[in-house]
Amino acid sequence: MNTGIHSASRFAVAGATMAVLLLSGSADAQTHRVEKHFAVQGNPVVTVQNAAGHIQVKAWDKHEVMIVGNSATNSVEVDTEQVGNRIEVVTRVTAEHPSPADIQTDYEVSVPTESELQIRTDSGGVTVDSVHGDMSFDTVAADLALQDVAGYVMIKSIAGSLVCTRCAGRLDATSISGNFQLIQPVMNDVRVQTSSGNILFDGDFQSRGIYILKNYSGTIEVRFSSNDSFDVNAASLYGNVINQAPVVPDRHQMPAPRSNMAKSLFGSLNEGHAKVELSSFSGTIKILKRE
Amino acid sequence: MQCNELEQILEQESDGALPPAAASHLKDCAGCAALWEDFQAIRQAGGELGAQEPEPPERVWAALRMQLESEGLVRDSAPASSAPAAAGWLSGWFGRAPRLVLACSCLAVLLVAVFLSDYNRGWTVAEFPSGANSAVATASLTPSGLDSTLDGNIKRVMASLPAGDVALTDSFEHNLGIVDDLIEGCKKSVREQPNNPMAREYLYGAYQQKAVLLATAMDRSTLEDR
Repeated sequence: MNTGIHSASRFAVAGATMAVLLLSGSADAQTHRVEKHFAVQGNPVVTVQNAAGHIQVKAWDKHEVMIVGNSATNSVEVDTEQVGNRIEVVTRVTAEHPSPADIQTDYEVSVPTESELQIRTDSGGVTVDSVHGDMSFDTVAADLALQDVAGYVMIKSIAGSLVCTRCAGRLDATSISGNFQLIQPVMNDVRVQTSSGNILFDGDFQSRGIYILKNYSGTIEVRFSSNDSFDVNAASLYGNVINQAPVVPDRHQMPAPRSNMAKSLFGSLNEGHAKVELSSFSGTIKILKRE
Repeated sequence: MQCNELEQILEQESDGALPPAAASHLKDCAGCAALWEDFQAIRQAGGELGAQEPEPPERVWAALRMQLESEGLVRDSAPASSAPAAAGWLSGWFGRAPRLVLACSCLAVLLVAVFLSDYNRGWTVAEFPSGANSAVATASLTPSGLDSTLDGNIKRVMASLPAGDVALTDSFEHNLGIVDDLIEGCKKSVREQPNNPMAREYLYGAYQQKAVLLATAMDRSTLEDR
């Protein structure tokens, strides 16, 4: 009988301990949520500075900027400030020696369509959907996914990649090891450089557009349609140029650049309305007909 | 004297002379002593470059300043036309007291890059200044000691990245390796094809990428907090 009572007590104690542990565990796992609303007029400038985590920006039709920040722990604080039409969001680390997981903060940002964005983050990812203002990104390893954006997009990254779908306007992007993919772009000024990454441009070349794609290794792939009109100058110093475009000698009577040992291609497709410059140190350049 | 006070003195002293208190501090502080050595090495490298090369065209000087200012590496708004003359433009420029010694690394990378691109662009072996042949020209792609000084400063910056952020440090180190490999590959290419402007342009671009990487790492480091 005593044995039974002792067993029951032990079970009760173990159960209580488990409950306490579970409760404390769930408290630790609880995210810290911050939600802020800022009334704005015209085209606001929204700045987000984060160390790690995902930043999702989307346009809406309100004259308001909404910031929702979710951090995994209380090792960070979300600071926000509004000065006129400028909204600044900064993730501040409050712990002495936090682990990378401790500083992870995710943001959902809703902005008026014509907003200007300035985003700096180290790792994680950034997605921007349907924003039509100028935007700049400064990342170390964070990947970018832009969709239906328009404006002047500037990207400076160390290892981050970009997927830009139906982007319009102008793009100036550099990365060391990141890849760049431009899917159905409607851009008339594209300057992209990566060292070891790949570059894909799959879209129409706008009349009078300028497209400068450069890497050191990796592949540069450009897909054209038979209606496209561009002058192309493609050269790979130690790699290859694979061409499916029926180019003719340059329509504008420009002298062919000195190619020396490089594999190169120089000529016009149709009237040569756009200018396409593709250059690689040791990578392969592909100019392929779109299926 | 505190370390930050010495840093201010390094920013202000253009002729290399240090006040006694600063010199005394250098004896007791290994970190500042290393900083001072770096500063001297870069100044010397600048002097070597300036001694080896004739005065660059005015447009190169203007373009250089614009590039450095746009990168945020130079805040001194001295007019672009005020290029130093007889003493060698680089040595004079380094003597203009850059804000931070580490920023000199970025500047030095860019300066080397500029030398490899705009200044020498289009030169053939026969046209190379001072009768230098291509081997000599390519052998002196970078002034002596500059690469090692840069690497030393990069190590310091890497060591100052936020503690515990392994992913950040790994990313920088991985990409630094990529850029260094690129530079070596491009140097080899320039040696093989000394008259090829494309090869020289790639080398310039590789150095520029190293400058961007260093500037980004500095931006993320805790050096400013000290």
